[in-house]
Amino acid sequence: MKKNSSNSHKKAHKAQALLLLCFLCLFVAPARAQSTDVVQAFEQVAALIRDDRLVEADKELTKVLRLQPDLPVALNLMGSLRAKQGRLVEAESLFLRAVQGDKKFTGARMNLIYLYLLKRAPDKAIAQLNEVLTLEPENLGARVLLGDAYLAKNDLQKAEENYLAALDNKLNNAGALFGLAQISRLKGEQREVAIYLNRVGTLIGDSTSTDLLYKFALEAMQVGLFDEAKSALERAVQLKPKDPSYLLALGIAWLRKTDLFEAEKLFRRVLVMEPNNAQAQLHLGYVLLNQKKYAEARTWLEKSARTSAPIPEVFYYLGLVAQEQNNDAGAIVLFEKAVRQLPSYAHARIALGSSYMKLKNYVRARQELETAVKLDPNEPTAHYNLALLYARIKEPERAKEELRIIDQLKAKGATNNGVVVLPPKSNP
Amino acid sequence: MAWSSYPLNPIHNQSVFIRATNCLWLLTLLLAFPPQRPTFEEVSPAASKITWTHNNAQSPDRQLPETVGAGCAFLDYDNDGWMDIYLVNSGPSDFFTPSTPLKNGLYRNNHDGTFTDVTDKAGVAGGKFGMGVAAADYDGDGNIDLYVTNYGSNILYRNNGNGTFTDVTDKAGVTAPGWSTCATWFDYDNDAKLDLFVSSFVYYDKSQNPLCTDPTLKQRYYCVPRLFKPQPLRLFHNNGDGTFQDVSRESGIAGSPGKSFGAVATDVNNDGLMDLFVANDTMPNFLFLNKGGGKFEEIGLAAGVAYGEAGRPRSGMGVDAADFDGDGWQDLFVANIDQEFFSLYHNDKELIFTDQPGEIAPATQLLSGWGLKFFDYDNDGDPDLFLVNGHPDDMIESRVARVKHKEPLLLFENTGRGFKDVSASSGPVFTKMFSGRGMALGDFDNDGDADVLTSNNGEPPLLLRNQGGNRNNWIGLQLIATKSNPAAVGATITWQAGTLKRRRLKTGGGSYLSSHDPREILGVGSATKIDSVEIRWPSGKIDKLTNPPLNTYVKVLEGSGLVKK
Repeated sequence: MKKNSSNSHKKAHKAQALLLLCFLCLFVAPARAQSTDVVQAFEQVAALIRDDRLVEADKELTKVLRLQPDLPVALNLMGSLRAKQGRLVEAESLFLRAVQGDKKFTGARMNLIYLYLLKRAPDKAIAQLNEVLTLEPENLGARVLLGDAYLAKNDLQKAEENYLAALDNKLNNAGALFGLAQISRLKGEQREVAIYLNRVGTLIGDSTSTDLLYKFALEAMQVGLFDEAKSALERAVQLKPKDPSYLLALGIAWLRKTDLFEAEKLFRRVLVMEPNNAQAQLHLGYVLLNQKKYAEARTWLEKSARTSAPIPEVFYYLGLVAQEQNNDAGAIVLFEKAVRQLPSYAHARIALGSSYMKLKNYVRARQELETAVKLDPNEPTAHYNLALLYARIKEPERAKEELRIIDQLKAKGATNNGVVVLPPKSNP
Repeated sequence: MAWSSYPLNPIHNQSVFIRATNCLWLLTLLLAFPPQRPTFEEVSPAASKITWTHNNAQSPDRQLPETVGAGCAFLDYDNDGWMDIYLVNSGPSDFFTPSTPLKNGLYRNNHDGTFTDVTDKAGVAGGKFGMGVAAADYDGDGNIDLYVTNYGSNILYRNNGNGTFTDVTDKAGVTAPGWSTCATWFDYDNDAKLDLFVSSFVYYDKSQNPLCTDPTLKQRYYCVPRLFKPQPLRLFHNNGDGTFQDVSRESGIAGSPGKSFGAVATDVNNDGLMDLFVANDTMPNFLFLNKGGGKFEEIGLAAGVAYGEAGRPRSGMGVDAADFDGDGWQDLFVANIDQEFFSLYHNDKELIFTDQPGEIAPATQLLSGWGLKFFDYDNDGDPDLFLVNGHPDDMIESRVARVKHKEPLLLFENTGRGFKDVSASSGPVFTKMFSGRGMALGDFDNDGDADVLTSNNGEPPLLLRNQGGNRNNWIGLQLIATKSNPAAVGATITWQAGTLKRRRLKTGGGSYLSSHDPREILGVGSATKIDSVEIRWPSGKIDKLTNPPLNTYVKVLEGSGLVKK
């Protein structure tokens, strides 16, 4: 378990570093005028970092820093390199040294800000952003990031002020509009969310920022703009075809559009690139489960459970597979595990009740199903299983009542059409 | 005595070597020439001389009855021992006036693979907006009669025994106005007469056709049946004098209005009373349990066959029943619309079923199923499964990704541990797409393996010859009842050949809008001798056949056993 946990931390750092690189590359250029040769040399190093030729870049920078250990440009580049290697502590220290060496080096400050935002240290990011905005009051990117930092602190008012300032009455700053969409979502203003996101969707059509595309897609999925999310992620995949994160997110977007076939293809592509990607394994298992391809679903779900610490959903899905393969005793063990991890897991309790019912343990079935209905009164599956149970224990009126509730729920649009509940929202 | 205590006999040793070498050759041969599986070969209209085509009457208004028809039947109307064919067509209705007269088709089997159109001579052209057909000898005169269901009112054609039929609908009292779909002959009260169950679809007339359209299509498509009201189903009791009594209400059948398509009469609790399983479209399916005394109780919910997961009714269309796993209990099958998966309900006894479609589910996820039948296509002794598919909405491809209007046929082999999709190796016809609806089963060439007839919406029918199903050995039974109902529905046949022991219940109906060869082909695999065949008739009489002949059809007379030629 510990090993898995450590692995997942490493992976998380790696993912953060990869994201960070998107921004770092923008700021490798020196702040102050250098001689042409030096500028060219640093540009070459920046290119090496961009092209993942990290060993060569490291050699070049080490040479420079041996001669000039406090050269801000070199420190900034070395920070970028370390960040790309996932060595975030070293990266922070290098950026700080670069900034100390040259207080006006906004590129290094911006790198530091991204790092702080990724490390969820918004106060530190805000301090640096204020410095940048003092130096460059018209830096709209910094203004948007300041909004992001306040949003991270849940200070919606200040976040909104900064996003609006970045917009300056022009609806052409995707980052600011995106921030406003997030604020509207947090305020429960769904219509505004959709308006802002639609505008962002238009602006980022040609964006080369995979981060923005990705963030937009996640936000769009939250409000049901699946086609917009899908388009953004398709663009991100075009820009970074070798990055499995975007493929995985695109697969999830197809899943949310309930297109299991497209989702399956994408998860399989991710697994070709990264055979041990637990998220992709879980999602592929989920897709296959819904396609009733139980044997293969089980294989992937079990792999996912081995690759990372299993979440309750994995036990639940594996239980469903066992149930479908007529192994209700085995299914009960798995559902019980899911419920132990997450006692409020209504779907696992429904499945548990269903398996007890199949084994004719009507007392336990009733307990679980009635608990499930209390946990999630709007879930038709719970009411259906309860109706089935009541019909079997010869309580027809109660069965009819449950069916009536299902009809009411359907009228309200609450039906899952028998599709197994999705894996939790992930952040690939 | 240990083998090692004796030196190997050199000759013996040599024979071991030869045997081993032979085994190797055998293995090589087996690998090079795997045993041939039976295939289904399309019999072209040119070869069969069946030139009839279904006209679905498709209109810009997309009237719902246009898309659900029609059915087909194998029957021996002239008692010559060869299966003839009946095909149902559309016809005049409140929303359709054919530009040229349309008629149903009766084709007489010429015993040489060809058929002759005898519709007009026989007087069975229909003339209404036809749906389905159920063939059986309802009056016990030894001649197969025809009940044709329609949108409008139904027709009972009594077989005169001379190649002609008479419309006796009004006299018999089985008009059943409205929109009828599947009809099933069975004897619900075990009085030795065939009663009639008739599925009803929705209340419909041309004024009740809501506008179902899509802004992108800019034209109408067929509305989902969810928008229409259900109709009471009908049960007619056979009075034995050529008339029937509508017992829908007193039997409890009419108490459950439905949007019903396929129906099968079977005995789900082995109590000797035939129950009814009825598929409903966008409504819960019905399992009518025969309680005796002419009463039925609808137990679909408690039995677990009414709804899909989450309590959502599915779009049930074709149905059938068989004991697919040989545990002595009748299992049920329902074909649904795309994305709903088809259901294989295993009978867990005590009137509880579990949906266990296995490999059938992923294979049918995008398909919509209609005609279907459990039957032993390769005569290995266990029931396999044939599925006929096609989406009812001809514009579905413009609206839903990956779902097609025309769909392939599917064949699943019973492996003893479930069903395996063997369509890809069962003939080129399985790569073709059809707007499939009805499916009838019958051995039209009398070669001992069951052939298939499908009816396609707006297309010609498809006659499929089973090639090689008779490589395994078999015996065909024609059951002639004397004390039981003429179709012997409800009879249990048990047969044994060496270690192979099987049992089959003779069900009534099954499939979709279609009717089947009443003979039973019992497969015995490679066994070269059948030890015994036992028929337990619905009357309770038992006939035992010892060492019956192999690879031939025989007649069995209730109470007398094998009829000598």
